[in-house]
Amino acid sequence: MNTITLHHTLPCVFAQRTDIHSDLWQHEVQLERGHLYLIEAASGTGKSSLCSYLIGYRNDYEGRIAFDERDIRTLRTFEWTCIRKHSLSYMFQELRLFPELTAWENVQIKNQLTGFKSETEINAYFEALGIAERRDTKVGRMSFGQQQRVALIRSLCQPFDFMLADEPVSHLDNANSEIMGELMMEEARRQGAGVIVTSIGHHMELPYEKVFKL
Amino acid sequence: MKLIWKLLRQHLSIGQFVGFFFANLFGMLIVLLSLQFYEDIIPAFSGEDGVMKNTYMIVSKSISAASTLGGEAQAFTETDVREFEQQSFARRVGLFTASQYQVYGSLSMGGMGMGTDMFFESVPDDFVDSKWPEDFTAARAESLDLSSLNEVPIILPRSYLAIYNFGFAQTKNLPKLSEGVVSMIQLDLRLRGEGGVERSLKGRVVGFSTRLNTVLVPQAFMQASNKALAPASQAAPTRLIVEVNNPADDAIATFIQDHGYELEDNSLEAGRATYFLKVVAGIIMAVGLLISALSFYILMLSIYLLVQKNAEKLQNLRLIGYSPARISLPYQLLTIGMNALVLLLSFVLVFWIRGLYLERLWQMFPQLSEGAVTNTILLGFALFILVSFFNIIAIRRKINHL
Repeated sequence: MNTITLHHTLPCVFAQRTDIHSDLWQHEVQLERGHLYLIEAASGTGKSSLCSYLIGYRNDYEGRIAFDERDIRTLRTFEWTCIRKHSLSYMFQELRLFPELTAWENVQIKNQLTGFKSETEINAYFEALGIAERRDTKVGRMSFGQQQRVALIRSLCQPFDFMLADEPVSHLDNANSEIMGELMMEEARRQGAGVIVTSIGHHMELPYEKVFKL
Repeated sequence: MKLIWKLLRQHLSIGQFVGFFFANLFGMLIVLLSLQFYEDIIPAFSGEDGVMKNTYMIVSKSISAASTLGGEAQAFTETDVREFEQQSFARRVGLFTASQYQVYGSLSMGGMGMGTDMFFESVPDDFVDSKWPEDFTAARAESLDLSSLNEVPIILPRSYLAIYNFGFAQTKNLPKLSEGVVSMIQLDLRLRGEGGVERSLKGRVVGFSTRLNTVLVPQAFMQASNKALAPASQAAPTRLIVEVNNPADDAIATFIQDHGYELEDNSLEAGRATYFLKVVAGIIMAVGLLISALSFYILMLSIYLLVQKNAEKLQNLRLIGYSPARISLPYQLLTIGMNALVLLLSFVLVFWIRGLYLERLWQMFPQLSEGAVTNTILLGFALFILVSFFNIIAIRRKINHL
């Protein structure tokens, strides 16, 4: 997947509104592989909706969204499964980790599916993010900040053309957020992937090539 | 897979699954046991003349004082036969042909001689519950030549032998005869036809019939002998043999009564007993199937509830790239495993219970041969495959719709 294109897209809930001033909604926007984007949003501007559309969780929008010119409304179940496994990595704002599994198992459940990272690499991520000693702790017992780091490691355990990080550092201090940014960019560069980061305020300090105001 | 299972077994209700397990087990057990019992008991009712598969009735016109005096026709006309054939209960109709000549049979045994006037009858070959020798089958009728014939095969009613052994021989201190011994005895037959034409030949008993209460000769021989000895007389059938679909059909009794016919022997009773047994086994099996169907529902409801309770987890697995097939698999394996266990346990229980009742049955019917178990095993597997198939589909659909 080389491009993600939004053709005059607008969430259905905004259809009646006339006061939309956005760089993204109702515009022709193309996001390309290998580039770094930031989407800045205020609350209620449809950031979560956009992410849900891109991961194929919702489709209540007007206009058209395309992956490489393929309208994503036409994607079938197995195609979505493939995209989520091989092309689009998504770090969810609400993390979507499994609280009854340990941090390690949460990462493994993804890595077993893709077989993308070795145990050594995953251990190195845990070390780098300072949660090595919480490896075998159930995620339900970890702080949100720690959970965010687990979620990042999980999202790195797959091949991807685009990484979609939805408020990845909302609960992290600057030092940790910097490490996360580095790990993410390192993997993205290695894979030649595009990165889309969203934020409603506090965001990773990265050399964004384009910033969209939602 | 281990991790997936660790996640998806959350909220699994042991109580519900135990409930399903026993409901399914009882359903399956009742279905299989009723079939097996039916297979085992049916030979006791049907015997070798196959009442179970085909039920035969022998029909004649009633003989009343008036008909005796009035000389009313006792024979069936062609119209009567055709009418019979058109009845929905009749599968096929065969005519009894009587010999149109006189028959004198004699027997000499150890210096003692016995002789009597007798008669022959015949029915089409496929109504006879015993086999004719190859040369006397309907297919060879054309080549049968009375003048060159030395011996004719005869089938006697099994009851004749019983009457001789337990009535006649007992009181006269004569030796009792087995079926094998009787077939070694040769009868001297003298056939006397129109215009005093006579033929002598030997008769040999080749079998016994439970179905046909007469002295039977092959149809082919009957035609040839009637033609040779009584070319002028027309043989009108006085009795019919009818194969019926369902002996308990009300229509039979009504038809027989309306036309003033009579039924011979009690084949109808045996048929009724079989039919009754069939109905009872059918009802029990239906109850078993109903229980099975309900247990299937319990399982489906449990799985739906489980899927619903784990909806968020399943959703998250989908979003991180798991396919519906992959996340359906643990639940599908769970149900298949349970169904297989139920099947296995049902087989064990059926054969254990069968052992218990077979002992009793053998006390009641010592000659009873064991019924086949193949059908029960096939039915068990068929139910297992059917139920598992629907389970798999239902789980997959439910997860697809999340």
